[in-house]
Amino acid sequence: MPPTTYDAIVVGSGISGGWAAKELTEKGLRTLVLEAGGPTDPAIDYVMQVRPWELHFHGWGDRAKLEHDQAVQRRCYACDEWSGKFFVSDLDNPYTLAEGTRFDWIRGRQVGGRSITWGRQVYRWSDLDFGANARDGFGVDWPIRYADIAPWYDYVERYIGISGNAEGLAQLPDGQFLPGMPLNVAEQFVRDGLARHYGRERVLTIGRVAILTEDHRGRAACGYCGVCERGCSTFSYFNSVHVTLPAAAATGKLTLRPWSVVHSVIYDPRTGKASGVRVIDARTNEVLEFRSRIVFLNASALESARILLNSTSARWPNGLANSSGALGKYVMDHWMGWGAHGDVPGFEDKTTAGARPNGTYLPRFRNLTGRQPDFVRGYGYQGGGGRAGWGRGSSMPGFGRGLKEALRTPAPWTYSMSAWGECLPRETNAVTLDPVVKDKWGIPALRIDCRWGDNERAAMRDAAVQAAEMLEAAGVRNVRQHEANNPPGLTIHEMGTARMGKDRNTSVLNGWNQAWDVPNLFITDGACMASSANQNPSITYMALTARAADHAVDLMRRREL
Amino acid sequence: MIVPAKAKSMDRRELIGLVGVTLPALAGLLPEQLQAAALDARRRPALRAAPAAGLDAHQRALVDQISEMIMPATDTPGARAAGVTDFVDVIVGEYYRDDDRAAFLRGLADVDSRAQADFSKGFLELSEPQQTAILTGLDAEARAMPPGSPTPFFGRIKGLTLYGYYQSEIGYTQELHGVFMPGRYDGAAPLGR
Repeated sequence: MPPTTYDAIVVGSGISGGWAAKELTEKGLRTLVLEAGGPTDPAIDYVMQVRPWELHFHGWGDRAKLEHDQAVQRRCYACDEWSGKFFVSDLDNPYTLAEGTRFDWIRGRQVGGRSITWGRQVYRWSDLDFGANARDGFGVDWPIRYADIAPWYDYVERYIGISGNAEGLAQLPDGQFLPGMPLNVAEQFVRDGLARHYGRERVLTIGRVAILTEDHRGRAACGYCGVCERGCSTFSYFNSVHVTLPAAAATGKLTLRPWSVVHSVIYDPRTGKASGVRVIDARTNEVLEFRSRIVFLNASALESARILLNSTSARWPNGLANSSGALGKYVMDHWMGWGAHGDVPGFEDKTTAGARPNGTYLPRFRNLTGRQPDFVRGYGYQGGGGRAGWGRGSSMPGFGRGLKEALRTPAPWTYSMSAWGECLPRETNAVTLDPVVKDKWGIPALRIDCRWGDNERAAMRDAAVQAAEMLEAAGVRNVRQHEANNPPGLTIHEMGTARMGKDRNTSVLNGWNQAWDVPNLFITDGACMASSANQNPSITYMALTARAADHAVDLMRRREL
Repeated sequence: MIVPAKAKSMDRRELIGLVGVTLPALAGLLPEQLQAAALDARRRPALRAAPAAGLDAHQRALVDQISEMIMPATDTPGARAAGVTDFVDVIVGEYYRDDDRAAFLRGLADVDSRAQADFSKGFLELSEPQQTAILTGLDAEARAMPPGSPTPFFGRIKGLTLYGYYQSEIGYTQELHGVFMPGRYDGAAPLGR
């Protein structure tokens, strides 16, 4: 029998749980990591090397099975014939929606969580973001500023290895970069054109990604096969399976327990603290309890909220650590997809070689100093240039030798960019426990009520107009705007359900990701976010996790926990 | 953990050898559970063994000929050598919804009907110029359809042929000169074969 008492319990083994595990074990804590899904073995489960012709549907996927088992998950581009196994069964993991709303909740339950399939884009926040709520009054003020987190960004980035180019922009601080991946000629054309027209106000740069461009800490540089989400056998991108969890394991202090669905956090009314967690074994349905001195919730924003909402007792009838009533509220996700595209003239004798798992980034330029009339906050653009290959053949006339020959020359260069925008924290965007529906293990399902607001919609429209204006200014031809109709959730940056704040009456967590009400409970996944900014959030979760773990251990050493 | 010094251009065999030695320390944890999962995964066949039940022998022969005419053998092999018919069989038999499958099979039958109407023979009995005339007509009709129309048969079989061909081992290696893991990205590579 494995022990049932530990120094620390970490719920979740994904991008933030892996960091909690590494930091807590390296600081000497005997740590139990509970993962709701099964184990992940890179030698077996990583499938990047599997070629389409080796799959039964050659990459098209088993449509009927996906529609039946993963009706929601399949809306994510990465839930395909290779990587569908890294996404949950929607049959086992139901959720419900408020009437008239849609939220695509994309989840991964296995060791590594969604860090296996994540998009790998890593952008620091700045004080523009940490000060946003205070400045315009939406949401509660962040209890931290850039100076509090900057050393932790440094710490995390140095360890995981991120590539990018320093641009010296105040709104998107530079990090500890390995050399950035190259822009292609079309992207360089757009960068140069924008620079001529906008100077340093609108800068196109290579995406900053947690992918190695040089060998780094025992991991190999990227080989440019371009399909990271299938699992990387050279460990070139960051995930918790091949980076943080092995580091935690190397300390000898880690116990990793897959197939452990956390039902609730156990509260001890005598001490006023969490005493451990209640677990349902995913395969046997056995109910187990594990004890610890501290608990870190890293189950994902919505799952961590769900666990706490389900952790009721006489003292906490509305969910543990919820004296503020903020638990489950202020759900945010980034909106995405509005932008423009067009044709890049010239460079007919050039093409690309290698599949670069990254694109371009154009940092936020709205509401930096001035004030837009119809929306607050801003957006940044991801994009990329290229030449279409054989895939355009279906839309070309003819067949036979002539078509085959024509497809040997790629189409002219095109460039496209799409915005990812900030979502305001609103009390009405909330998750609650569904009174009826339960998951496979009898745990109440979440009912999600989340919709875009007027501020988001105004920013979306602006993003398409601005993208077109910029591309035309840069010399791109045949510029066309594009729109998107993505529901909240599908950007997979859901956050905000147990926000940090300065006031225990309006927030769940203090400035150290520590629950105001339950001092040995820490939440360092997306739940902790008091605003969303427009940058991809994972690097901020990682930095906050390392910072919170350091603080928690400090409190334990001082006998304050 | 043991990791290769540098990932250069690797073929599949090298990669498989590679992953054999890249087990992270994680694999040493909870050996029982991990080993059980590993055995499970190994027992699972990578490819489904059951053959598709989409096309009968005559329909397969039609697909075989039409796809080869769409993507013929030239200085590189064509659709037939690349096994496109097997791919089409899987998609029609197991991927398509019933209405898509019915539409595809109607389209195939229509190819024979047109051959009978124009040349009083089945499509497979026609000379190649006659076959080309039939497909040219289908292609022109397909392209003349207004946007938003249901996908015409020729559009379906052309799309399936192109995907099946370029995403086959032969199409990828011999026609596209694909390199799975080149070890570098060049955004200004010279165009040329």
